[in-house]
Amino acid sequence: MKEIILPELGEDIKEATVSFWHHKEGDEVKAEEDIVEFYTDKANFSVKAQASGILKAISVKEGEKASVGQVIGEIEER
Amino acid sequence: MAVKAVKRIDLSLAPLVENTRRVIKGLKLHTICDSGNCPNMHECYGSSTATFMIMGNVCTRDCRFCSVKNGKPQEPDKTEPGRVAEAVVKLNLKHVVITSVTRDDQDDKGVFNFVETIREIRKRSPGTVIEVLVPDFGGIEELIETLVRARPDIIGHNLETIARLYYLLKPDSSYFRSLSVLHMVKEFNPDICTKSGIMVGLGENEDDVIEVMRDIKEIKCDIFTIGQYLRPTGEQFEVKRHVDEDEFQRYEVVAGSMKYAYVIAGTFVRSSYRAGEYYQKYQESRKG
Repeated sequence: MKEIILPELGEDIKEATVSFWHHKEGDEVKAEEDIVEFYTDKANFSVKAQASGILKAISVKEGEKASVGQVIGEIEER
Repeated sequence: MAVKAVKRIDLSLAPLVENTRRVIKGLKLHTICDSGNCPNMHECYGSSTATFMIMGNVCTRDCRFCSVKNGKPQEPDKTEPGRVAEAVVKLNLKHVVITSVTRDDQDDKGVFNFVETIREIRKRSPGTVIEVLVPDFGGIEELIETLVRARPDIIGHNLETIARLYYLLKPDSSYFRSLSVLHMVKEFNPDICTKSGIMVGLGENEDDVIEVMRDIKEIKCDIFTIGQYLRPTGEQFEVKRHVDEDEFQRYEVVAGSMKYAYVIAGTFVRSSYRAGEYYQKYQESRKG
């Protein structure tokens, strides 16, 4: 299982809001493909899938906040 | 009008980001990457680079776009230059950028701390290219000469915005004093590369930016960066517009036709962003 973790974004930034998941739970995802976007007061960010497989879980939904270091989703590697 | 651009983050860099942060925190240093909530922080820390901010994280000036705290700073720490040099060694930096808060409270405006930091890095890591990104030192000639004599490879001083917006955004500073700082560096030693930058999206238009580029050429500044202003938190000046990539490209084209400054323009361009890489490109462009 490959966890998607909200990365460090700066000293004072403790959380970010998930703005968009490119896939639904259960969808197949490919490594290097855009998977999720989120934003802080300062900027919008996007991360790519680190592995190919199935997007097993979305634990922070669109519009919800996540803390830095929190697992926001999981990919079951194939 | 363009929408807010998206910064891509490579999660596989996370362990390197952690390591860079550990080195910086371990040596009790500040970086503008963290203090300014820079969107490039993950990428830069992930490639083991950072822009060190010396003489504390409290600034004597209150620029409206900046999230660094304004107030009465602590006395500069004499051990700091050595700790910065230690970080350069630990992170194995080939190119380092040193910046600082503005220290109008000090007689020397902080210039000796820059000189000491340059000296310590030269001693510990002689092969490292040293770039300093300095405040205006009140425009005082002898202080700028002192810095030039310490022989950093690059001296940067950011204009940050166009002349017309200074009263609103940098009320304690002067556009023409800032230009004169860069000009003095070249007069004292033409071999030192000079660098400046502005942010766009603060209320200027394209003609205003080209006007700044003419001024930059006039003072023989070598490298000029143009990037999108992003509001660090809800407390700073609001973003007036999001500039699209076409406009940034037009600035690079205009620069090419002006034949002086090497211009780097783009949404996430910051004066210290990929400083080592762009300095190499600039040097190659000069040969060619």
